[in-house]
Formats: sequence, C-alpha cells, structure tokens
Amino acid sequence: MIVIGLLAGIVTGGVAYFIPWLPDQASTQAEEIDGVYWFVAIICAVVFSLVAGVSIYAGWKFRAPADDMDDGSPIHGHTGLEIWWTAVPTVLVVAMSVWSAVALARAETLPDDPDEYTTIEVTAAQFAWSFTYPELERTDGELVLRVNEPVELILTANDVIHAFWVPEFRMKQDAVPGIETRTVITPTKEGSYDVICTELCGPGHPVMRAGVRVLSDADYEAWVAEGEQGAGEGGEGEADGESVFAEAGCGSCHTLADAGSEAEIGPDLDSVVPGQEEQQILTSIVDPNAEISEGYQPNVMPGDYEDRLSEAELDALVAYLVEVAGARR
Amino acid sequence: MSATLHAPAPRRTGIRRWTAGGWLRALWTTPLAFLLATGLVAGARAALGYEPLLAQQPYITTLMVMVPIGFLAGIGAFDYWARYVSGRPTIPDDHASHGAHSWKDYFKVNTDHKVIGTQYVVTTVVFFIVAGLLAMFMRAELAEPGMQYVDPQAYNGLFSVHASLMIFLFIIPAFAGLGNYVIPLMIGAPDMAFPRLNALSFWLLPIAGLMMLSSYFIGAFGAGWTNYAPLAVQQPDGNLMFQMGVQWAGASSIMTALNFLVTIITMRAPGMTFWRMPLLVWANFATSTLVVIATPFVAGSQFFILFDRVLHTNFFDPGGGGYVIAYQHIFWFYSHPAVYIMMLPGFGIVSEVISVFARKPIFGYRLMALSLMAILILGFSVWAHHMFVSGMADWLRVPMMVTTMVIAVPTGIKVFSWLATLWEGRIHFKTPMLFALGFVSMFVIGGLSGVYLGSVPIDIHVSDTYFVVAHIHYVLFGGSLFTIYAGFYYWFPKMTGRMYNETLGKIHFWLTFVGFNATFFPMHWIGTRGMPRRVADYDPMFGNWNMAISIASFALGASTLVFLYNMIVSWRRGEPAPSNPWRALTLEWQVSSPPPIFNFDEIPQVVGSPYEYGVRGARHAILNGKPVQEGREAAPMEETVP
Ligand code: HEC
Ligand SMILES: [Cu+2]
Repeated sequence: MIVIGLLAGIVTGGVAYFIPWLPDQASTQAEEIDGVYWFVAIICAVVFSLVAGVSIYAGWKFRAPADDMDDGSPIHGHTGLEIWWTAVPTVLVVAMSVWSAVALARAETLPDDPDEYTTIEVTAAQFAWSFTYPELERTDGELVLRVNEPVELILTANDVIHAFWVPEFRMKQDAVPGIETRTVITPTKEGSYDVICTELCGPGHPVMRAGVRVLSDADYEAWVAEGEQGAGEGGEGEADGESVFAEAGCGSCHTLADAGSEAEIGPDLDSVVPGQEEQQILTSIVDPNAEISEGYQPNVMPGDYEDRLSEAELDALVAYLVEVAGARR
Repeated sequence: MSATLHAPAPRRTGIRRWTAGGWLRALWTTPLAFLLATGLVAGARAALGYEPLLAQQPYITTLMVMVPIGFLAGIGAFDYWARYVSGRPTIPDDHASHGAHSWKDYFKVNTDHKVIGTQYVVTTVVFFIVAGLLAMFMRAELAEPGMQYVDPQAYNGLFSVHASLMIFLFIIPAFAGLGNYVIPLMIGAPDMAFPRLNALSFWLLPIAGLMMLSSYFIGAFGAGWTNYAPLAVQQPDGNLMFQMGVQWAGASSIMTALNFLVTIITMRAPGMTFWRMPLLVWANFATSTLVVIATPFVAGSQFFILFDRVLHTNFFDPGGGGYVIAYQHIFWFYSHPAVYIMMLPGFGIVSEVISVFARKPIFGYRLMALSLMAILILGFSVWAHHMFVSGMADWLRVPMMVTTMVIAVPTGIKVFSWLATLWEGRIHFKTPMLFALGFVSMFVIGGLSGVYLGSVPIDIHVSDTYFVVAHIHYVLFGGSLFTIYAGFYYWFPKMTGRMYNETLGKIHFWLTFVGFNATFFPMHWIGTRGMPRRVADYDPMFGNWNMAISIASFALGASTLVFLYNMIVSWRRGEPAPSNPWRALTLEWQVSSPPPIFNFDEIPQVVGSPYEYGVRGARHAILNGKPVQEGREAAPMEETVP
C-alpha cells in the first residue's frame, strides 16, 4: 500500500513539476498567490494519493470471488482513527486559511505614501475597456504601467458586470455597474499582456480584451510625453477625433495605424473606411447593427455611442477617420 | 406489473371521458387557459390604454403562469382538493389512482410513490439526454478556435440551457425520484405522507423542463444558469421562461421536500428510531431541510429579475437606485446549499452501496449521520465564496473562506469512513459498486479543487475560468451523476423486477470513467493558464487541448448510449429479479421486486441497525414473522406476494 501511495505521489508530483501550470509570474501579487497555490497543491496531492492508494489497495486485497457468500469483519468504527481524521484535516484547513489570509492581505496592500503608487480608473462597457489616468488627464483603450510601481485600479462598468483579469498578474476583479470596486497590481516584468473579461457580459464576451504594456522607466516617460504632445495639438475645448477614438475604446477592437491600434475583433478600419461616405461611417458607429460587415457578428460593437459621445465628438471622430484611415505610417 | 389489490377504474364513456380528469380533459382545459390568459392581458391593457395589447413580456409571463395551471387542472392534479375546497363531497378514495396496472398508468396522475418514483426517474433521464446533447453541440463549437456552427449568443444559450436542465431537471429531481421510490420502503411505510401532493410535485417537472427548452423559440436565455443581473434584464424574452421554469421546478422540489420530511418524521415503522435509519434516509432528511429553507431564495431572486424586466422595478438597476450585487447574495444563498442538495442524497446512496457490496457495517455510522447534519448547517454560511471577486464587502471574504474550508472536515470524515468500510470487507465489484468507488475518487478531486477555490487568493486567479468548469463537473458529474448511476443500477431490479446486464453495466462504467477524466481533467490546466469560462471563442493557444477535450467528450457522450440500451432492453427482457439480489438488509429488499402495491402486507417491526453484515444473530427487522438478519440467511428467493 505504501508502494501504491508513493507511486501516486510521484506521479502527481511529476505532473505538478513538469507541466507549466501557472502563467508567467509578472507581479508581486502573482508571487504571493503562487505561494499559496503550491502550498495547497502539495496538501491536496498528498490527500489524493492517500485516498487513491487506500482504495486501490483495498479493492485489490479484499476483492471477493463472485460466488463468495461470506461477510467481511463486522467492524463498526474506531474512535481513535475517527479522532485522527477529524483532527488532522482541521489542522491542515486552518493552516491553509491562515496562509491564504496573509497572502491576501499582502497582495492588496498599497504603500502608505500616495506618491509611491498611481491610481487608474478602469471603465468596462460591452465589449471594450477604457483606462483613465487621472494624473496624466488621459484616457486610452490600453493599460500602460510602469514596472515596479504599484497601481490601484478603480473599476466600474457602464452596462452589465464585467471582470478584469490579467493572468500573468493573477489579479481579478469584477467591474460592477453602479459601484466602484478596487484591486491592486505591482507589475514586476516588462512586456505585453492581455486584459481578459471573465464575467459573462453578452455575445461579445469572448472578444472583450484589451492590451496591457508594462514599460521600463524610460519607455514610460516617453509614453507620457507622447500623450502630452497629443493633447497639446488638439487644443482646449474643441473635440479632437484622435482622442475620442482613444477614449471611446475603438482601438481595442479595430486596427487603425494612425492611432497605433492593432486589434482584430472588428474590421480593419484602414482597409474598409477609405472610400466610404461620412454619413455611412456615422451610421456604422451610432447604429452598428444597421448593417453588419461581412464575416463579423452583430451585437459585438457597442450600440450606445450615440448616447456616450456628443454630436461634436461624433463629427470629429468621423472626420478623423476619413482623414487618417488607410494612411499607413 | 405488481399485484392488484384494487381493480382499475372503470372506463368512462361518452361525454364523461372529456370531463373526468385525464389527458382528454387537459386537451381542452389547456387551450382554455391560454385563451383566458390572452383575454386577461389584452383586457387589462386595453382598460389601461396601453399599446400594444399583447406586449410580449407581460403576455409570456401570464401564459407561463396560467397555461400550466390549466394543464394540471385538466389532467386531474387538483380534483380531490377542488371538491374539498368547494364543499362538495369528496370521492372516497378507492385507490383507483394508486399503483400501475399497465404502462398507460405511468402517464396519468398517480398517487403511488413507486409509480411517481419511476415517473420522476424516466422524465429526468429524458432531460439528462437533452441537456447532454446541448453539451455535445458546445464541444463541437469549441473543438476549434473561431466560430464554426453557432453565433456567440446562440452559444450562450447552449450552455445556459444545458446547465439549467442538468441542475433543475436532472440532478435535483433524479434524487427526488430515487428517494420517492425507496424512502417509504426503507422506513417501512406504505406510501409517502401526502400522496396527492407527491403526484402534483411530479407533474410540475415536465412543465418546468419544457418551459426552459422552449425558450429557444423566442430567443434562448444566454446569461448562464446563474442569470446574473443586469445581463439577465438585457436578454431576449426566453429569459422569462427560465425565470418561470425555476418557479415551477422550485415549487416541485419544495413540495417533495416537505413530503419527505413529514414522511420520515412521522411514518417510520415501529422500532425505526433515528439511529436505526439507513444513511440514505438521513441524507434525504438533511437534503429536504436544505431544500425547504433555501429554495425560496432562488425563487425570489428570479422573481426580482422578472419584476425588473416586466414591471420595471429597480431591484438590480443602479440607474434606479438598485444594487447589482444583491442579486448574487440572494442567488448564492440558495445555490450554494443547492450544491449539497445535489450531493447529500448521493452520499446516502453510496453509503448503502458500499456497505452492501463490501459486506460490512458502514464504518462510524453515527459520525456519518452527524457529518451530514454538520454539512447542512455549515452549508448556509459559505455562499459568498462564489463572490470573492464580485466587489462585495471585503471583510466577508476571509470568514467565508474559513467556513468553506471547514466543510472539508465533515466531508473528509465521510470519505475516510467509506474507505474504512472497504477495509477487511469482501468486496463484490458489481456495477453499482464500481460507480460508488468511482464516485469516491472523483469526488475527492472535486472536493480538493474546491479547497483551491475556497482560498481567496487562489480564487482571485482561477475564478470564472475553465478551472471552475472542471471543478463543478468533478463535483456534479464525478460526484452527483456517478451516485445517480450507482442508484439506478442498484435499485433497477427492485423498480423493474428485472436484472440489468452486468457486462454492459461494467462497460458503461469504464467508458464513463475514462471519458469523464479525459474530458474534464485538462480543463483545470487550461483554466489556470488563462482560458475564461463561458466563451464561444478562445485564444488559439488552447486549440489543441480543446480539440482533445471535445473528442473525449464525444466518447463520454457515446457511453450514455450503452447505459440507455442496457436500461431499456433489460427492462423489457432482462432476467426476472429475485426480491433481494444483493443480499442487503434494508427493508426495501425484503419485499418482492417490484414491491406489492402497499409495500408491506404487514407493518415491519424494526429491531436493529440496517448494516449488521457479518454480525452473528443481529437483525434489522422482523417482517411477516421472519427475522431480517445476515442478508444471506434471510434472502428469500420466493416472491412475498401471491
Ligand atoms: C467591442 C468591439 C468594438 C468596439 C469597441 C468598436 N467596434 Fe466598431 N465594429 C466592431 C465589429 C465586430 C464590427 C463589425 C460588425 C458590424 O458591422 O457591426 C464593427 C464595425 C465598425 C464599422 C463599420 C466597418 C465597415 O465594414 O464598414 C466602423 C466604421 C466602426 N466599427 C467604427 C468604430 C468606432 C469609430 C468605434 C469607437 C467609437 C468602434 N467601432 C468601436 C467592433 C467594435
Ligand atoms: Cu458554493
């Protein structure tokens, strides 16, 4: 029986070790969570090996011939054993709970000094994400973070519940209409990742994604500067098509070279928009279901831009598209 | 089938055939209710000056309430009570509606718990097949990344209806059906406490099931079986069919649960103390308590959504001051206990099966019963573990994590006790035993992945991913369904009077066991790696795994055909079953297969524990003057009925 138990243990151990169970670790939260994950995994592997070992051994050792008419030993219980298998799991459960609670608290802690972290507002809507950087007065369809700087994300949703998840960061949080929710991330590894919506939010749920970039200090400063320049060009008060495009999250679904977006959920605007009438483009935006582009699904593109954007903003957006679409840089 | 104590009701002729309770009357009362509902909605809206007269939402809702009532009145589910309420003399019960004399009686309102049990089991198996086919469509779509056969909204409809049927129309009522058949027999009672209520609770089921299925005609509900607000409010009108379907199915389970509770508390045979009850009876007692307390919450949650949709209330609309997360609290306050509603009866079945086929007393009987009660109580204190990332009050997370993990302790006690029951037994690997042992190992995996999900930090990562899909299938398929299969095979001889084919049973087990693991185990991995659940399309990096999973799932689906073939052919042509083929001690095996119409010719006298295998001279009960002891000696091969 010990042999079977050991074998089962080795197999589960091997499976645990050689298969990359978890995605890349790209945040301090991921380190905390993975610690608990492996602690629980080891306990579970031991318990499972024990159960599997005992049942296989018992099944083999105590199997009765088909015509056997005898009964087994009339054992009704064993107080000692029963106390053990109540006490040991209780201890394990307490240990797992304590570790989990500590890891949770550490994962969600922000520095006391507000200068040491940034806050980003995340807004989810069917089926796109938008990220507002209050300190930079900037809104974008992409989440850009500075490596090793903790961020506090304040989330909300416009229509139904969505959930923000970046597997490499391990952190997940629902964005709920009507309230603000919160999560904390300290990215530790430069690179590009995906925000994945994990709460069923309608037909566009599988494609509701946005990009995340974790940048080095220098790259981050460059990105900030680029944004300030863009804002300067537009001038105050006047609606600027480029920033409307960014703020409305169009870039999370459409490719448009001028805006630097490469998403493929909706048609490539660089190839479809050139040659279209302004009116036609406007209709595509305010009433996306009026005509469905070939090869795409209805109800994926949000249908509420008419309410969300002012008339001036819509006009600016259309003008911007007419101007830049197709102009490959 | 069984012995006839009462002649079948005399055939009615002429107009009486159309006015007496039955399908002919339902043929006109159902359309009548339809017309009444139409008139009611149109009339009320005309009076208020609303346009259009038959606005879809109020109209559908009214139909979903009135048409089933018309149908139930037609087939005669209310006849006795209607006479009683209206002050007319009730028809003295001649037991004409009791027991089945031909197959046709299974399609009528019948008050015999054995007929009702069979009706339940067959109906639920039908819904099981339908829901399983929906899963096959899903796996076909998911086999490759990108969209192939359905569009995303249709896909959302597939998994929503799949889960709703499996939960509300298969697992929960399948247990109620098995319990209906065997509980009165096990406690030595002639029937359930309220036979007419029992009949009514069965007939609500096909109504609920057809309602959920027919939602496809007006746009299937695609917000999942969890139907979270506010997405539910946006859904096509098929969503109303889910909400009303849950009401009818919920009413059915509440009625049955009350019936079980009263039956178990008041109708035990003399000498059948609580500490002498078989564990299945204990399990049903605990489950029924859960159902009675928790089910009104899911009914409420669906009514609130219905009101938000139809009456424009603002329970969950933040625009009108509603609180979105409130829905989840109410919903999970039922739906977590529902996990135990779908699990505890299985624990009961497995305890019976393991003890009988290991030829040993169940290990630690009292602790087994007490751990059921512990799970029942703890089960109400953990609902928010489904909401760790929902944005609910932060402080609730750690306490609910602790209670969740603590449930592992009584559950562990049960698993270890089953294993200890095997120790030094004489194990016979008949099909029910294979499923019971398969259940123990699969359920341990489901339970352990539950511990993962119970830990808040781990849950933050894996919640709403395929890891959760794997977890619930290990619990509800490897757990509940395996025990249901064990129960079907175990009591098949008792219910049908025939033996099933053992070889086919074993083939079915191994195909299911292998297919199940090949389908669901990899889902843990793709979930942890980053594949969210409830998606019609996914990252191509998961393409190969999904293809493999889909192929395995088709094999798993095919294994069901072996089961169906075995059940149908054996029911018609299997070898006649002796009264006690398993040499079991519990009372249902001491009467003929199938049992006589009122179960026991003479009320049994219970004198000891039901599990005294191998104990010299111990007895469970005295029946017809003969002691029921040591399965072997007491197993009479002759039928007890003339
Ligand atoms: C959630 C993803 C998503 C977002 C966000 C989104 N779209 Fe779309 N868009 C689509 C899809 C899918 C289609 C194709 C289906 C259709 O025609 O509705 C589409 C179609 C279009 C079309 C018509 C293309 C053609 O073939 O003529 C235009 C123009 C367009 N989008 C512009 C925009 C603009 C401008 C925004 C931002 C205000 C935006 N979209 C935001 C997904 C999106
Ligand atoms: Cu739960």
